[in-house]
Amino acid sequence: MTIRILGAAVLLAAGASVAQAQQLAPSPTLDAVKARGNLECGVHLGLPGFSFANDKGEWSGLDVDYCKALAAAVFGDANKVKYTPTSVQQRWPILQSGQVDVLSRNSTITFSRNATLGLNFQGINFYEGQTFIVRKSAGVKDAAGLDGASVCVAAGSTEEKNAADWFRERNLKTTITNFQKNDDAIAAYDAGRCDAYTAGVGALAGQRAKLKNPDEHVILTQPISNDPQGPVTRWGDERWQLIVRWVLNGTIAAEMLGVTSKNVDEMKANSKNTEVRRLLGAEGGFGAMMGLSNDWMYNAIKQVGNYGESYERTVGMGSPLKLERGQNQLWTKGGLLFTPPFQ
Amino acid sequence: MNVLSFINDKRVRDWFYQIALIVLLVGLTVFFVRNASENMVKAGIASGFDFLWRTSGIEVPFVLTGYTQSDDIFALFWVGVANTMLVTVIAIALATLLGFAIGIARLSSHWLLSTIAGAYIEFVRNIPLLFFVLFWYFGVIAALPQPRQSISLFGVAFLNNRGITIPLPDAPGNFRWAALVILVSWVGYWLASAWARKRKERTGQDAPLLAIGLGLIVVVPALAIAWASLATRWDIPVLRGFNYRGGFVVIPEFVALLAALVTYTAGFIAEIVRGGIESVAKGQSEAASALGLRPGRILSLVVIPQALRVMTPPLTNQYLNVLKNSSFGAAIAYPDVVSLFMGSALNNTGQAIEIIAMTLAVYLVIGLAVSALMNWYNARIALVTR
Repeated sequence: MTIRILGAAVLLAAGASVAQAQQLAPSPTLDAVKARGNLECGVHLGLPGFSFANDKGEWSGLDVDYCKALAAAVFGDANKVKYTPTSVQQRWPILQSGQVDVLSRNSTITFSRNATLGLNFQGINFYEGQTFIVRKSAGVKDAAGLDGASVCVAAGSTEEKNAADWFRERNLKTTITNFQKNDDAIAAYDAGRCDAYTAGVGALAGQRAKLKNPDEHVILTQPISNDPQGPVTRWGDERWQLIVRWVLNGTIAAEMLGVTSKNVDEMKANSKNTEVRRLLGAEGGFGAMMGLSNDWMYNAIKQVGNYGESYERTVGMGSPLKLERGQNQLWTKGGLLFTPPFQ
Repeated sequence: MNVLSFINDKRVRDWFYQIALIVLLVGLTVFFVRNASENMVKAGIASGFDFLWRTSGIEVPFVLTGYTQSDDIFALFWVGVANTMLVTVIAIALATLLGFAIGIARLSSHWLLSTIAGAYIEFVRNIPLLFFVLFWYFGVIAALPQPRQSISLFGVAFLNNRGITIPLPDAPGNFRWAALVILVSWVGYWLASAWARKRKERTGQDAPLLAIGLGLIVVVPALAIAWASLATRWDIPVLRGFNYRGGFVVIPEFVALLAALVTYTAGFIAEIVRGGIESVAKGQSEAASALGLRPGRILSLVVIPQALRVMTPPLTNQYLNVLKNSSFGAAIAYPDVVSLFMGSALNNTGQAIEIIAMTLAVYLVIGLAVSALMNWYNARIALVTR
């Protein structure tokens, strides 16, 4: 009798410790997302190619595609996203206060933001260089030709400081006028208040369409900075950061491995490549390690596509922006995009 | 004195409530501050005011304080405060002048004048301020010519859609002397008018105050400024490349915000002026008229002094509104404290709580100063019954 009770106790204890070992570190954000039934994603107010709502209120763009991939990985449904448009001023407080689960909005990763704002940057989905748009009639070839010009910019953006530093270092005298919103700044440029407007090359390509006569303006090709951008999370909740980071890695890995939204079913069923099989949940149980279903990346790729598909559709040659892949090409093809292995 | 009567003493109870309220308020503040700072530490957000000493790196196109972009964020804060105060003070002065003119025109017996003034007041009161700001900025200022086609004012100042570029003295020394001379002559006028008033009370004789005033208030300052201008070397703007170089630029954002604040606030001040004047009993002007005073003298000697007592409290409100409304400058990139500090600096540092608290304090301090000044004025002009 005593022995049987002791035995049962031993078994129970063993069972409990096994259960403990399988229990994942808590993720309050993931629990909240699941309980709510949708992902809250902070996006740009309206930047064609990156995050833009059409007249039916449907969001699209490179940054929006990331939100969709994340929702597909968590819920198996890319449409379970609620988008919160954020201005330059609101973006950090909205993330810090927990109003959104992740921010995917064309914001530059910088040291001081990382060190002092309680923010973590979970990888890079767009390498951008800051440049200028000027009137063709001004006859300017590069940024150095803007000596004496007045430049419109969004206040508090990295562009504001970059431009001020760049001109000061070269002893060029420019006047920089800071507007609260990108849209106000470009409207003032269009009205003739400024000789140039500065922003990232991707943003400029999108905003150019908003000008009265887009053909009268030219975007200077040589960038004055390097502004990597990617999804942002709050500090704490390491497991949620893991998910946010690896969904981004997964979309890039899918392109490297040749997995697309078209062939994903066939690849999952027949691929002999073990990394493809782990990525798509055919083996390895990688989704479960983060508290998601094992077909997390299968869903994301099936519904949103890999990074390259998304790029072409939103900002690349298949879009009105017509941006070259450039730095945003895979490292194997001469770009900067790279992902650690799914191993 | 037993306990019961002590409790029932009204003074004791009043003190008790006052102290209880203060303790409650202090307690609440401590609770909120501690709660916020604990949560910020937990979320990895830096707090405190150390960020003020970081280099700002922000270029400001309209600076009164000698700030450059390599100065710290605290210096940027003062640039914003100075710009807010500049536009507020000038807007208050001009809106008061315009408002008085429109208010008096509204009461004019001239039908057309009164109707135009009335239409203006109705128009202003029913249009949001933001519309005025955007109208002046995009409608009026942006319609000015490009720098190369600037409107030249006597070949030394140039007006274009980048603002008005005016010559700037190379060395301001002579102007400091001129300012001193002006100050001395104004104080001199003030002393002379005080002496003239006393003399009139004593002897009933009028002093030639008009001539003295003309000399001390207008002629002497004009001569001083003329001398300083001629004795100074000027940095005259010249067109080079994109725009005029040299001189001082009054930016279009300042002009547009000032114009919007003045035209908007004048409509409200006009109504206050009308109300104040109408509140003066009709018998007052009838009595003055019976004494043989002319309409202009009746207005300036009898009606307006009495109307001012009614007008001062609502005028104070309007002045405070001008201060608060100056933050609309953020909509058109006027570099005020909201735009520079709560916009650029907040975005660069992310120190939302500290920056918003400091900006609130700026409005609170300036606002309380304006109220105090107006209350002092109100007490001075209050009817003294003997």
